[in-house]
Amino acid sequence: MDIAVLVKQSLDVQELRVDQDTGKIYIEDAPTKAGDIELNATEEAVRLKEKLGGKAIAIMLSTWGSSGKRQKEAREALTRVLAMGLDGAVLIMGEGAEKGDTYVIAKVLAEEIRDKFRLVLAAEGSEDNFSGLLPARLAAELGWPYVAYATAIEVEGDYVKVTRSLEDFEEVVKVKLPAVISVTQEINKPRVPKLVEIVKAKKKPMDQKDFSPHVEPKLVIRELKVPKVERKQIVIEGDVEEAAEKLIQALKEEGVL
Amino acid sequence: MKVLAFSHSMDLVLELISAGRELGDVSLIMTSDQEGRINEVKGAKEILLCKGMGSGDQEGLVELISGLAGDYEVVLLASDRRGRELVGQVAHRLGASSAVDVSSLSVEDGKLVVERMTFGGKAIAVEELGLPAVISVQKGKFKPPEEGEPSVREISAPSVERRIEVIERKEKPKVGVPLDKAEIVVAVGRGFRKKEDLKLAYELADVLGGVVGATRPIAADLKWMEEEVWIGISGVRIAPKLLIVVGASGQQQFAAGIMDSKVVVAVNTDSKAPIFEQADYGVVMDLYEFLPVLTRKLKEIKGG
Ligand SMILES: Cc1cc2nc3c(=O)[nH]c(=O)nc-3n(C[C@H](O)[C@H](O)[C@H](O)COP(=O)(O)OP(=O)(O)OC[C@H]3O[C@@H](n4cnc5c(N)ncnc54)[C@H](O)[C@@H]3O)c2cc1C
Repeated sequence: MDIAVLVKQSLDVQELRVDQDTGKIYIEDAPTKAGDIELNATEEAVRLKEKLGGKAIAIMLSTWGSSGKRQKEAREALTRVLAMGLDGAVLIMGEGAEKGDTYVIAKVLAEEIRDKFRLVLAAEGSEDNFSGLLPARLAAELGWPYVAYATAIEVEGDYVKVTRSLEDFEEVVKVKLPAVISVTQEINKPRVPKLVEIVKAKKKPMDQKDFSPHVEPKLVIRELKVPKVERKQIVIEGDVEEAAEKLIQALKEEGVL
Repeated sequence: MKVLAFSHSMDLVLELISAGRELGDVSLIMTSDQEGRINEVKGAKEILLCKGMGSGDQEGLVELISGLAGDYEVVLLASDRRGRELVGQVAHRLGASSAVDVSSLSVEDGKLVVERMTFGGKAIAVEELGLPAVISVQKGKFKPPEEGEPSVREISAPSVERRIEVIERKEKPKVGVPLDKAEIVVAVGRGFRKKEDLKLAYELADVLGGVVGATRPIAADLKWMEEEVWIGISGVRIAPKLLIVVGASGQQQFAAGIMDSKVVVAVNTDSKAPIFEQADYGVVMDLYEFLPVLTRKLKEIKGG
C-alpha cells in the first residue's frame, strides 16, 4: 500500500522576527522547515510501510516563493524526511502558492495523489498557519473520507483503525481506504536520522515539478498585522525569600492579588 | 445576509449565533441528541431540527450541512476539533472559501472580511473571503445573545454512503473551572520532573483561588493532566488577570495562548528562556525552591 505524506514548507515561527513598533514582519528573512507535526506524520508513514510494505512518498508544495534560498530550504526539508525512511519526494514549485489559498492547493495536490496512493497522512495543522484546512479539502477533492487528530493508526486490510482524542470524547473509528488522515504530535516520537541516513537520503529520488494555478483563489490575505503585547520584563533579584516578597509586593501594586 | 450555523457543543452554539448576527439572520442546525436543549437557544431566526442524525456523525454532517448551504451565504462552525474537521470538507464540497478560528468578521463590498491569528500568534491575518464562505469562530470571542425566540422547522437526514464507522466512544471527564474563564492561572511546563510534583502548582493555585493549566507536552504527551487544560495555539487561549508560568520555556505556540493575560509572571531556571520576554515579572530560579516559599508567604498574608 503506497502512502503519501503531506509536508509543508513552513516558516520557522520561533525564528520569525516581527517589529511591534513598525508592524513589520520579516518573512523573507525567516528560515523555513518541515513542520514538527509533519515529522510525526512521516514517522507514522515509515512505520506503516515497514509493517505492510509499499512505498511512502513525501509531497511538498512550496508555499513561500521560489527564490534560490527557498528552493534550497525546501530540498533540505525533504532530505530530512527522506532520511527518516521515506522512499522519495515530490517538490512542487510555483508562483502564487504563497497566497495560501487551500482551495487551489488541494486541487494541485489531488492531481499528484489520485490513482497513486491509498492513504494520505498529514499534520493536524501546519506549523506556520495551523488552519488544518488542507487535508480536509484534499479529502473532499479526492472524494475520500477524512479523519483528523489521530493519536494511533492501524491498517487492517481495506480499513484503517484510527484512535483520536476530541475535546469531549476518546474515539476509535474504522475508516475505509482510500482515506486522508491527519495526526497529532502525540502519535509517536519521530526518529532522529543518523548521518549515514542523511547522506543516503540525498540520493533518493526527488521529483521537482512546476505548477501554475489555473483556478482563481477564493481567499486573499489583505493585510498581516503585528499584535501589540507590552510586557514589563522586570527581573526580580535576590535570594528565594527576598524574591518571593518582592514578587508579592509587585503583584499587590498591580492590583491582582 | 443568510447564515447557517452548527456546533457539536451546545456551549458554543450561542457564541456562533451571536457571531452570525453580525452578518444577518441565523438558521441553526440541531441534531437529535441536542433536541432536549432547544429551549436554551436564543437569538437565532430559526432552528432546523434534524431528528434523524446525531452530532457524532461527522460524515452525515458534511452531507447535511453541504446540502443545506446552497441557500446561505455564510456557514458558521465552532473551532473545536470536530468543528474544524468539518470546515475544510464542507467548504470544498461547496467550492467555497474558508477560514478557521476567526476572532472578528464583517462584510465589505460583497466580501467577508475576517481576522485570525497566524504564524504561531506572531501575526494577525486580515483575510478577504469570496462568498459563499465556511468559517469557524474562535471560542470565547462572542457574547451569547440573550433574547430572540427562534421558530423550529424539522428537516430530514440525507442518505450517506458510509465509509467511517465509530467503533468505540468514551466520554471524557469534565474539568472544573474552564481555563478560558479563570481569573488566576498557574501554568506548568516540563520543568516539573514528575507528576506528583505538580502538587507545588496546585498548592499555589489554591492559595490564590486560581486554577492550573499546562503546556501541551504536560497534558497531551505525558498525560499528567486533562487535555482540556493545555494552553496555546492548538489548545485554550486564556485571558486571566494574573498568570504565573512555571517551568515552561515559552515557545511561540504556547505564548500565542497567553497574550490576553493582564499580568504575567515567569519562573524558570534558564534566564534565556523566551518566556521572560512574554512576562512582566521574571524570577530566574529553581521552581522547587521558589514555589514552596512563595506559597507559604501568600498563605501568611491571606491569613491561612
Ligand atoms: C503546530 C504546533 C502546535 C503546538 N501547539 C502548542 C500549544 O498549543 N501549547 C503548547 O504548550 N505547546 C504547543 N506546541 C509545542 C511547543 O512548541 C513547545 O514544544 C512546548 O510548549 C514546550 O513545553 P514546555 O515549555 O513545557 O517544555 P520545554 O520547552 O521543555 O521547557 C521546559 C522549561 O522548564 C525550565 N526548567 C527546567 N527545570 C526547571 C526547574 N527546576 N525550575 C524552573 N524551570 C525549569 C527549562 O529551563 C525550560 O525552559 C506546539 C507545537 C507545534 C509544532
